[in-house]
Amino acid sequence: MFSIIYVEQQVAEHPRTQAICARFPKAARVSCDRYGEIFNPNAQDFRLQKRRPSLILAHKHHRRVLEAPHGYGLGGHRNYYFSHLLNCLYDCRYCFLQGMYRSAHYVLYVNYEDFGTDIDTTLATADNKPCWFFSGYDCDSLAMEPVSAFVQYFLPFFSRRPLAHIELRTKSTQIRTLLKQTPLDNAVIAFSFTPEEVYRALEHKVPTVERRLQAMLQLQQAGWQLGLRFDPLIYQPDYQVQYRTLFRKLFSQLNSQQLHSVSLGTFRLPRGFFRNIVQLYPDEPLFAGTFSDTQGMISYPQPLEQEMTEFCTREILQHIPESLLYPCTLAS
Amino acid sequence: MINLVVALPAEARPLIEFYRLTEKTTIGSFRVYRHQDMSLVISGPGKIAAAAATALLAGNNTSAKQAAWLNVGVAGHATYAIGKSLLAHRITDQATGQSWYPPQLFDLTTTTACLLTVDAPENSYHQEVAYDMEASGFYAVAGRFSSHELVQCFKVVSDNREQSAATLTAASCSRLVTEKLDEIEQLVGALLAMVQDYNSWHAPHAGLEQLASHWHFTVSQQHQLAELARRWKVLMPQQPLWLEGLEKKRNASAVLHCLRQQLDSLTPAVTQETPASRV
Repeated sequence: MFSIIYVEQQVAEHPRTQAICARFPKAARVSCDRYGEIFNPNAQDFRLQKRRPSLILAHKHHRRVLEAPHGYGLGGHRNYYFSHLLNCLYDCRYCFLQGMYRSAHYVLYVNYEDFGTDIDTTLATADNKPCWFFSGYDCDSLAMEPVSAFVQYFLPFFSRRPLAHIELRTKSTQIRTLLKQTPLDNAVIAFSFTPEEVYRALEHKVPTVERRLQAMLQLQQAGWQLGLRFDPLIYQPDYQVQYRTLFRKLFSQLNSQQLHSVSLGTFRLPRGFFRNIVQLYPDEPLFAGTFSDTQGMISYPQPLEQEMTEFCTREILQHIPESLLYPCTLAS
Repeated sequence: MINLVVALPAEARPLIEFYRLTEKTTIGSFRVYRHQDMSLVISGPGKIAAAAATALLAGNNTSAKQAAWLNVGVAGHATYAIGKSLLAHRITDQATGQSWYPPQLFDLTTTTACLLTVDAPENSYHQEVAYDMEASGFYAVAGRFSSHELVQCFKVVSDNREQSAATLTAASCSRLVTEKLDEIEQLVGALLAMVQDYNSWHAPHAGLEQLASHWHFTVSQQHQLAELARRWKVLMPQQPLWLEGLEKKRNASAVLHCLRQQLDSLTPAVTQETPASRV
C-alpha cells in the first residue's frame, strides 16, 4: 500500500508509529524533522501525487480540537471537529481537500492521547451540556482504520464520556472494528452518498453505493445509530430522477425508525479552494458549468441551489420525519 | 520534455550514446546535448555547478510547458554494494541542513534512499546514506521550474567503506552508468509519461491565439478568456472556439460576453466523458 513512510523524528519511537511501520515492512522509512517539510512546499501537484500517495506519521502540536464551521452541525449548539488524519484514501472530484492541501500524502497524527486530552478540556468548558465532535472533516473516518486503529482507540474513549457525541463520517466499508464493539448511544456512523451516475463519474476508488448500503445494513442490525449524508448534492440535467432513485434504494432497505439523522447540502467550495481545484483539473466537467460567487463561496446559481435543495428535501421527507433532517446550506 | 543534469563527461557518455544526443551548444563552461525532447547538460562537479547548469537548461526552455528533470551520476554509500542503483527519496544539503523529499510515484524496482550532498569528497561514510556532490544544487533549482514529482535524482554506487572513491576512474564511472541504462530508461519513460499527462491537462485551447489576434484583450480580459476557453474545451471539445457573428463584435468585452452567454446556456453533466479526466 505504501512504498514510503515519512516519520517525524519526534514520533519515531511512538508505539503507534512502530505498529504502523511494522505493517509495511517493505516500505522505506524516511525520517524528517517536521511533516510540513514534505506536506507544505509550494511546487507540488496534488493530482500527480494522488496516483501514489505516501504516508506521513506526525505529532499534532496545537489546535487539535476546533469549532466546526457554521452549518456543519446536527442541531447541537456545541459542534467541534478534530482531525487525526489529513487527506483521504478516496479521490472524489468534488472534495475540498484537493483545494486545501498542496500534497496528496496522508498525514496521520499518532498522538491520539493528546486529542483525547483536548476533547476533555473542551467538555470541561461546556457546563455539563452535550457536545458534538466530528471526526470526518479532513479525512474519511473509517477508510484507513486497518492502519490507523483510530476507531479502536476512540470508541472506548467516547463510551466513557456520554455527553460527548461523535460522528464518524465515511464512504468506507471498513466496519469490522465497529461490529466487534457494543454500539454507543453517543456515536453516529454517517455514510455519504451520491447517485450511482455521479458515483461512477466523480467518486474514484470509493466502494459502490450497494457495498456502502450493505455495510450500513450490517451496522444497523448490530444496533449502531446511522446517519445519511447527501452532501454535496451534484447537479445533473436529470438529477431529480437520479436522486429519487437513490433515496428510494436507501430508504427502502434501511430502517428509517433507527436512523439518527439525514443531512444534505448542495455543492459549494470556498473561492480559493475552487480556484486551486480548477487549476488541478481544468478538464473536469464538474467545474465547467456555471457557478455563482457569494461572499467568497462558489456554488450553483441560487435558483438552482434552491430548486435542488427543495426537491431533495421533499423527496427525503417522504421517507423520514422532518425532525431528522438537517440541511447544510449557505444560508444555514 | 526531459532535462538530464550530469556532473562528469564519463557519466554522461553512456547516456549521450544511448539516447543519440548530439552536442548543440557550449554555453560558458557547459556542454549541452539534445535529441528530440531530451536535453543533457554536463555541469562539472559540485552543487553550485549543478545549480548553474540546471538554471541554464531551464532558461533555454521558452515553452510554457513543464519539463521533467533527472540528475544522473555516481555516489558513495557506507554499505551498499558497488553498482547498486538508487533513487533519492530525501536529499539533504550537508552544509545548510536543508532537505527536499522528491515524491516517489513510480512503480519501479529501483531502491529508494537518502542522499546527502557534501561539499568535499566523503571518505569516512559516517551515515547510512548515499553521498554525492550535486543533488541539492540540482534539486533546489529544478524544483523552482517544475513540480517536485517531476524532479528526480538517480545514482549508482561507485564507492563505499570497502572500496574508496580513490579507485574510481572515468572508465569505471562510465561502466557503472552503462550497466544501469535499462533502469534509467524505465525512469525516463515514467517521467516523460507523467510530464506529458501534466502538460496535456494544462494545455490551453488551440483557438485562444486566434481570438487574441483579432481583438485586444487587457490582462484581466486575457484571464477571463482563458477561463472561458477552458470551459469551452470541456463542454464543446469538437467545436472551434468561435461563434457565428463573433467577427462583428467590436471589442474584447463583447466577445467575452458572447462566449460566456453561450457557455452559460449549456447544462453540463458530470458524467460527460473526457479522456484526461479519468486519469
